[in-house]
Amino acid sequence: MTADPTAVQLSAVRLERGGRAVLDGIDLVVPRGSITAVLGPSGSGKSTLLAALTGELQPAAGTVEVLGAPLPRDSRALLQRRKSIGVLLQGNGLLTDLSVAENVALPLRTHTDLPRAVIDRLVAMKLHAVGLRAAADLYPRELSGGMARRVALARALALDPPLMIYDEPLTGLDPIASGVIMALIARLNASLGLTSIIVSHHVHETLPVADRAIVIANGRIVFSGTPAELQATTDPLVQQFLRGEPDGPIAFDSAARAQAA
Amino acid sequence: MSVRGPRLEFAVGAFLLLALASLLVLALASTNGKFGFGAHTYPLKARFTNLGQLRTSAPVKIGGVVIGNVADIQLDPVKFDAVVTLAIDDRYKDLPTDTSAGILTGGLLGESYIGLQPGGDEQALKPGEEIAFTTPAVDLIQMVGKYMFGGGGKTATPDASGTPSTSMPSSSPPPTSTPSTEPTP
Amino acid sequence: MPFIAATRSLGRAGLFSLSVLRASTPTRDFFAELVREIYKIGARSLPIIAVGGAFVGLSVTLLGYRALETYGASNQISALVGLGLYRELAPVLTALLFVGRAGSSIAAELGLMRATDQITALGLMAIDPIAKAVAPRFWAAVICVPLLTGFFCSLAITASWFEAVHVIGIDGGTFWQVLKDAVDFRHDFLVALEKSAVFGGTAALVASYVGFHAEPTVEGTSIATTRAVVNASLLVLMFNFVLSAFLFGK
Repeated sequence: MTADPTAVQLSAVRLERGGRAVLDGIDLVVPRGSITAVLGPSGSGKSTLLAALTGELQPAAGTVEVLGAPLPRDSRALLQRRKSIGVLLQGNGLLTDLSVAENVALPLRTHTDLPRAVIDRLVAMKLHAVGLRAAADLYPRELSGGMARRVALARALALDPPLMIYDEPLTGLDPIASGVIMALIARLNASLGLTSIIVSHHVHETLPVADRAIVIANGRIVFSGTPAELQATTDPLVQQFLRGEPDGPIAFDSAARAQAA
Repeated sequence: MSVRGPRLEFAVGAFLLLALASLLVLALASTNGKFGFGAHTYPLKARFTNLGQLRTSAPVKIGGVVIGNVADIQLDPVKFDAVVTLAIDDRYKDLPTDTSAGILTGGLLGESYIGLQPGGDEQALKPGEEIAFTTPAVDLIQMVGKYMFGGGGKTATPDASGTPSTSMPSSSPPPTSTPSTEPTP
Repeated sequence: MPFIAATRSLGRAGLFSLSVLRASTPTRDFFAELVREIYKIGARSLPIIAVGGAFVGLSVTLLGYRALETYGASNQISALVGLGLYRELAPVLTALLFVGRAGSSIAAELGLMRATDQITALGLMAIDPIAKAVAPRFWAAVICVPLLTGFFCSLAITASWFEAVHVIGIDGGTFWQVLKDAVDFRHDFLVALEKSAVFGGTAALVASYVGFHAEPTVEGTSIATTRAVVNASLLVLMFNFVLSAFLFGK
């Protein structure tokens, strides 16, 4: 069995929300083992793209292939597939009634028949990988933002998924915590042989760890290439985004207000 | 969550125990205890021309002691009197065949119940048999009306006579199936 | 059109309730969650129920005595209190207190879970959020509300006994005897527990539905909490009428 070199492949994908096309003509190939940064301004459709990758949103047109096979529409099959996709959410999603260890153990206890001792070992391993082995018995409300994010990461890795998706992993973190998270993402990707997709608008923290970068704006992919190429691009739209300028091809105000002005 | 692990389980266990214990105490101390476990009763029938306020599950008493309840009330479509089915506790199997049944009320505003007055016959009523001697309920308003407007001391009309609602049915002679006159107090 | 929207809303709520029942599987995790929820919504509701019950017992005894006194039937006070409690007051008042205390907390917790991505995370971990978060709360409510009603009654009857016997001066033996004669185990006591179970389940379903579908924002959670209390209270009162008509109609 040859390993499929692409982890994710989107072909001519069109994504709609509420009847309105959010993204159109999306062609994307994510090679296995790479870290891909999905960048773009707020509201550009990054979360919608993410929803398509996890199977939450069905494409209105085109195909979404994850790990070599199209995402199933049937909910039961989809649930099975989701076990091989790890997702780190913006809000962490740690269950407040469970301790850190119990949170990390949750996917293991639900989806495997491993004995308690084995699960405890695995949980300790995952927490160790994110540097939080000592926090095993704390509760989520006792954790700082960065610690909570790392616990959520450990939980997302619990079933050793080959594909990891990070939704705005640096939201609400101070510079040190941000650096820790990004270093973790890079290290885990390399040591565990993962494929990672990072959706973010923190360009300058994300680019250093990424192998590839794509920029989404105005409903389509406006750039796809390596971070070096991204820095060197002459496209005014991308340049506006990179430099954080309010004026340029990307509208700062909504279209109606721009017309009224 | 301030309580976790074994302390949580203890707290929940204590709560459940306390709750179940209080339910048990309530059931025993504040209800009539008719749990329906040993629902061993046998049926007897009785016909009345007037039920008054009698309803199903009204008690059946002998001398004030509850020995059963009213299981069913039906109207005989042929004779147009009420056929009442009594559920008598199995412990009281030997009611004489000349037992009489009357519809009484406990106090002026109390609920109606059936009072049985055992006779002296050696033979006993068998399950399903009908009590031969019955007295219908007293319609108080009619009786008061008749006393007020009909003068005292006159014999009451058939519908209105009967044992007045007191707690001593034994004071009247055993009534026959057609109501008899009786001395007014 | 508001009527169509309301009907659709009702349909969604009904489907939600069905999915809660379908998702209730007796696994070890489920029981762990169930125990936790029984503590949160049952044991912690105890103080308000107990205090409420005691005061209701005192009030009804006092008012009932005044009413019965005019007919010279003040000995029947315990029957009045007992029947009133078991048939109407205890299930309804306990349910309303429960809605206020536990219903609001269920809606708030689920709304918060929605706002902090916990529900999304469960879905992405291939765990049914309804089975994990909603079903244990539902069954905990169905178990706890009858128990809480029992507490309410015990406190109310005890308070009534105290008021009647030690303050008003009814004979203690009469009090208990009249009470026992008046209250039927099957038709009054058990009915109170059955009503409570229905009310508890209703309250939990309404609160869960509203919290689960709240907007994932802070305002969404607060709106959900208010809606849960209002809707659950109304449904309890409506169902009470339906059940009473059905059970006591003849």
